[in-house]
Amino acid sequence: MTIRDNARTAQAGTLESMDCLVTVTESTGERQIEISGAAVSRFAGAMTKKVNQVLDELEGKTEAKSVVVSVQDNGALDIVLGARVEAAYLRLVGGGAS
Amino acid sequence: MRRTMLYLPGNNPNMLTRGYLFGADGLVLDLEDSVSVNEKDSARILVREILKRGAFGECEVTVRINGLDTAFWRDDVAAIVPHGVHGVRVPKVESVGTIKALDEELSSVESAASLPAGVTKIFCLLETALGVWRAYDIASASPRVTAIIPGGEDLTADLRTNRSASGVELEWTRRMLIVAARAAGVDALDTVYPRITDDEGLRREAEFIKQLGYDGKSVIHPNQIPIVHEVFTPSEAEIEKARKIVSAAKDATRRGLGAISVDGRMVDLPVVRRAEFTLARAGITDNEQRGQEK
Amino acid sequence: MTLNTVQRDIPSHIDGYGNTAEKLYSGAFERMPEGFGRGGRIRAVTPNDRAKLLSGVSEAISASGLKSGMTISFHHHLRNGDYIVNQVIEACASSGIRDLTIFPTALFGIHKDIIPHIKRGVIRRIMGSVNGPIGALVSEGGMEIPVVLRSHGGRARAVMSGDVHIDVAFIAAPVADIGGNISGRIGKSACGSIGYAFTDALHADCVVALTDNLQHYPIAPVSIPGTCVDFVAQVGSIGDPAGIVSGTTRVTRDPLRLLIAKYASKLIETSQYFRDGINFQTGAGGIPLAVTAFMKEAMKNRHIRGGFGLGGITGYFVDMLKEGLLKKLMDVQSFDEEAVKSIASDPRHIEISADWYANPWNCGAAVNWLDVVILGATELDTDFNANVNTEADGSLLHGIGGHQDTAAGAKLTIIAQPLMRGRIPCLVDKVHTVTTPGEVVDALVTEYGITINPNRPDLIDACKEAKGGDELPLVPVDELRARAREMSGAMEPVWQDERIVGIVEWRDGTIIDVIRQIRSAR
Repeated sequence: MTIRDNARTAQAGTLESMDCLVTVTESTGERQIEISGAAVSRFAGAMTKKVNQVLDELEGKTEAKSVVVSVQDNGALDIVLGARVEAAYLRLVGGGAS
Repeated sequence: MRRTMLYLPGNNPNMLTRGYLFGADGLVLDLEDSVSVNEKDSARILVREILKRGAFGECEVTVRINGLDTAFWRDDVAAIVPHGVHGVRVPKVESVGTIKALDEELSSVESAASLPAGVTKIFCLLETALGVWRAYDIASASPRVTAIIPGGEDLTADLRTNRSASGVELEWTRRMLIVAARAAGVDALDTVYPRITDDEGLRREAEFIKQLGYDGKSVIHPNQIPIVHEVFTPSEAEIEKARKIVSAAKDATRRGLGAISVDGRMVDLPVVRRAEFTLARAGITDNEQRGQEK
Repeated sequence: MTLNTVQRDIPSHIDGYGNTAEKLYSGAFERMPEGFGRGGRIRAVTPNDRAKLLSGVSEAISASGLKSGMTISFHHHLRNGDYIVNQVIEACASSGIRDLTIFPTALFGIHKDIIPHIKRGVIRRIMGSVNGPIGALVSEGGMEIPVVLRSHGGRARAVMSGDVHIDVAFIAAPVADIGGNISGRIGKSACGSIGYAFTDALHADCVVALTDNLQHYPIAPVSIPGTCVDFVAQVGSIGDPAGIVSGTTRVTRDPLRLLIAKYASKLIETSQYFRDGINFQTGAGGIPLAVTAFMKEAMKNRHIRGGFGLGGITGYFVDMLKEGLLKKLMDVQSFDEEAVKSIASDPRHIEISADWYANPWNCGAAVNWLDVVILGATELDTDFNANVNTEADGSLLHGIGGHQDTAAGAKLTIIAQPLMRGRIPCLVDKVHTVTTPGEVVDALVTEYGITINPNRPDLIDACKEAKGGDELPLVPVDELRARAREMSGAMEPVWQDERIVGIVEWRDGTIIDVIRQIRSAR
């Protein structure tokens, strides 16, 4: 298990059309990305790439934390996905939601 | 032209990405009332990304930031201004000091982002009795100010009344703000019509504010856009008359005449200006106008 | 590798379907019939054995002589309220009948109850549209024999030309008499037109009417006469009225759909077909209904009176008939309560069969008289080929309906729908499945503008000459495709196996495309 029972977690986004709900959870292992939703069948690679790219940039700017990312997608474009990942990650490292 | 400025909720990707397709003259990406306190951070990031992408067609793009009495506004300005917006719409303006403070902040963000100084305009929402009372001073407080807009729900609450179908409670405010706007040389834009399924009520209100002299109206639903545009679009007869006046004016200038006459009547300069404005509103360009003259 | 003329690779032999060499799609109007039509078994009833009444589904199955391996048909006029398909299959299973081919005009979500019978071998093959859960089952390889998809007109053609022989047709009848005359117009399960059942009634070896509303001989008016009905079986209920017809359909207020509908309506108004006598089909979806509403306003403003409205009929078409904006309605399927009431009371509202509606191989179907049709699609490609069968993940989820037939028949075929469904673009480089070829599709209308098939320069010119550029934003198809791609990013290929699970026939019986089994996990 890379996620501890009392691991901190944060969310951003919604399940509305063209949005996605991103949950990031602090972990002790490698970064993991899970994506679900209708677009996965044709865009899984692009979505994973976008999540990685946003996290790499943020880890350069903030105190890096290893995370497990879960995306419940309802048709988000890449820019929306990126915005939701960023918001969720900043909430986690900012210590807001727990 | 600012006949319609469409509010787009700042945390709604669907509207933020497609809102420009509905043909409004301008957009207001909203970080204030349509975004709950808990979502201010995520909406700000989302709006920033949408601005970076920059697909807005021909629309004038503005962002309604959170008020200067909140902890959010500086972050709002820092996130959005570097990515190029025509202006910020600032809520609950009550004093010249508010505009000065915003002006300074905009200048420092513009400078850091290597944008020309003063490129970001200010749209002032006057949502309290005090703000309305000081309308002219606020509108003249900075060259950035480009429009003043009366409040709706907040203002009627401050006036200790509520919004009625007739809009009588906002009538005096609307009359006062058009005078203040013209005196200060800025646009007067009306508040939203909140009953989104009442097309006839919207049409009546748009006709009223157009007659007062307003330049346009904020809208909260895409279906409101064609109705307001229809009201603000000049009729064929108005266009024809305006064409005659503008063409007579050009003719007079060409021939070095001081006085302009149309159909045997003398026409003043302000009438020519108004005629030019009518043609602009009808979407008739200078070229088309010249084409007509041939 | 054998390519048909829409560049689809069709194997020379498909297990469970046969050799394909003579049946490759080669153009929308290329394949022509030869020889004579086929009918059902000839029967005779003497005055002494005129009684046709049976007491239930099981008795009907046994009286019909249905045996394992036979083909049975159903109509879909009761839509998602239908009880008959499930009841008949259940009774077949109980009687030990297996290996059936079912040949419905369409299946709905309510028919998911037949899935266990597919798995147990009661049903061996499906020829007809498969939606929702049954479609998913087929896509994942749940049937040994591939599904054959046909349009409404193509299905009627297949029956009349002998491609498909129906052993027993089970016809749900909202009203029937003891002599076998039936109609859909009255009764608690009234559905209006039963046009899709006509062809089956005329060509099956045995016809069984199932009704929950038995009347004295004869009823009036009659849709299908008792002369071609072998048995009448009484059942408790043929369907759930709430699932059969919808209430009054209202025009959407969704701004995106309204915007697309407005563009589509403007395109129609600008075309040469917007004149007195215009015949059109719009259907019941959100966008088509809004197009009808905008067209209605335009017809009033320009004092234009239409000819007929065709296809699935809604209350909106009924209003236009009442207001004199349309002269006739040709109804193969009644969508809502208003349409059901109207067909029962107004002689200008005509019930038509699937053959009359759409069959390419008769002496002239109604679609041939269409000026304009508004359709949807899950995907369109830059050659204007349309896919209505498979979803973005490659799974088979929708039937063809009248898509091919109306597109082929109408002078102006418009696909109207959002460019983006979430991240998934509707305009792609190559559709996953070709349902309808680009040669019969004239325009795609989206929220980002109108793109017109380059094979219609007349239409492009008409739009350019028209006033009001904002209302007719023309975009070349490649530009619109680039725009969709910019938003969605590059699409990864559909994850599928070689095995063919579905065959899409063009309305003339040629193979326009095949559908392969999807892999669910990467």
